[in-house]
Amino acid sequence: MTNRKILMLCLGAAPLLSPAFVLADAEDKSIPAQEQVIQPQLERRDVKVPHINADDIEVGFYKGILSIENFSAQSVTGLRLAYHVTEDFFIEGVKAKSTISDEFFRSRAFPITGFDKQEEDLTYYNVSLGYNVLPGEIFLGRRWAMASAFYIIGGIGTTTFAKESHATFNFGGGYRILLNDWFALHIDMRDHVFDSDLLGQNKRTNNFEATAGLTVFF
Amino acid sequence: MRVQVADPYIELRTEPGRGYPVFYVAERGEWIEILKRKTDWFKVRLASGKEGWVNRLQLENTLTETGARTTFRDVMLADYLDRRLEVGFGWGRFDQDPVLTMRIGYGLTPNFFVELSASQVTAVYSSTSLTQLNLMALPFADRRVSPYFTLGAGRYQKTPKVTLVDSPEISVTAANAGFGVRVYLTRNFLVRGDFREYMAPINDNRVDTFKEWTLGLGVFF
Repeated sequence: MTNRKILMLCLGAAPLLSPAFVLADAEDKSIPAQEQVIQPQLERRDVKVPHINADDIEVGFYKGILSIENFSAQSVTGLRLAYHVTEDFFIEGVKAKSTISDEFFRSRAFPITGFDKQEEDLTYYNVSLGYNVLPGEIFLGRRWAMASAFYIIGGIGTTTFAKESHATFNFGGGYRILLNDWFALHIDMRDHVFDSDLLGQNKRTNNFEATAGLTVFF
Repeated sequence: MRVQVADPYIELRTEPGRGYPVFYVAERGEWIEILKRKTDWFKVRLASGKEGWVNRLQLENTLTETGARTTFRDVMLADYLDRRLEVGFGWGRFDQDPVLTMRIGYGLTPNFFVELSASQVTAVYSSTSLTQLNLMALPFADRRVSPYFTLGAGRYQKTPKVTLVDSPEISVTAANAGFGVRVYLTRNFLVRGDFREYMAPINDNRVDTFKEWTLGLGVFF
């Protein structure tokens, strides 16, 4: 407490003293301004501050259904990596695998250009920005309270199938429930929008995806 | 890590977020243990064994064990200054066509960054992918609005759509130069605008140039 009072006094007195210092400087030019007049005989301790473990990174996987416009709905499996910038915003990177089938067209003797076989691999990756719009807490009985958040998310990426890459926008929303501090459950609905000319004419397609996933924070 | 409360009191919340209920208050002089962090929230344990989440602002004035002069604010500052990795994405125009870009950057010094970017341009008859390694100079790195200059080179690959027949694929080394501006929204979150000009030597007597404008987001780790 006394230290603080002394400090306050010094701070208060500083403006009063400063003109005097300026005068002293002007008179005596032999001492450079930067040099300390008295060298304190102190051994400075190198204080190493401990690192606090941050749980801002979220890693996990998800499974669900991806429906490709004009084609069929297939199962999708993805890896999710997210970084929580603030309690409101997070940035998420995703890589997922699915398949796309031209069975409908092939069965009518009209296979799609670029399809070597009926079922082609489909991969997509994207980077998105998410915002936790409705944070909350959910209750399971008397004993369990778990943090949750409804988020909206949107971003950009690439969808690749049948030897073609499509620049893709994605947007949607999801629900995240934290079962404890580091383990979370996700339910996510997303629309992947890209232009495709596989059916002869360039056309904007909406491709809906519904997934459920598990993640851990570390 | 143990710290001593220096504010009149600090509030403990049930979960890390501004809206969660305050269930306990720790008073000045009390020793608390910091267990971990989630964004701006710290999980603390009191001597009584109670655990809760406290906001960074309330902990900034606490004192650490290593010495009464080392406040928690210094610990946080040291942590943020250590961050060098930047990840982000952008969206814009590459000549007339839409382009999407993903970037990863590393700060060699506060004023110089190396950045790897992967872009995809989707045109009507072709798609172009660009993978570029750039050096960025930030002359005013400590400003909230920080302009920069960039120079780099990498692969330029133009693939015609499979639905078009007999169109050759182009894959050459291209160079780029540009400038931009970064605006920090928070300590580790930024918006940036980029302009780049690409030069791609297609063959001995033809060099294609492209202008690219993008707007993007970035995050520091």
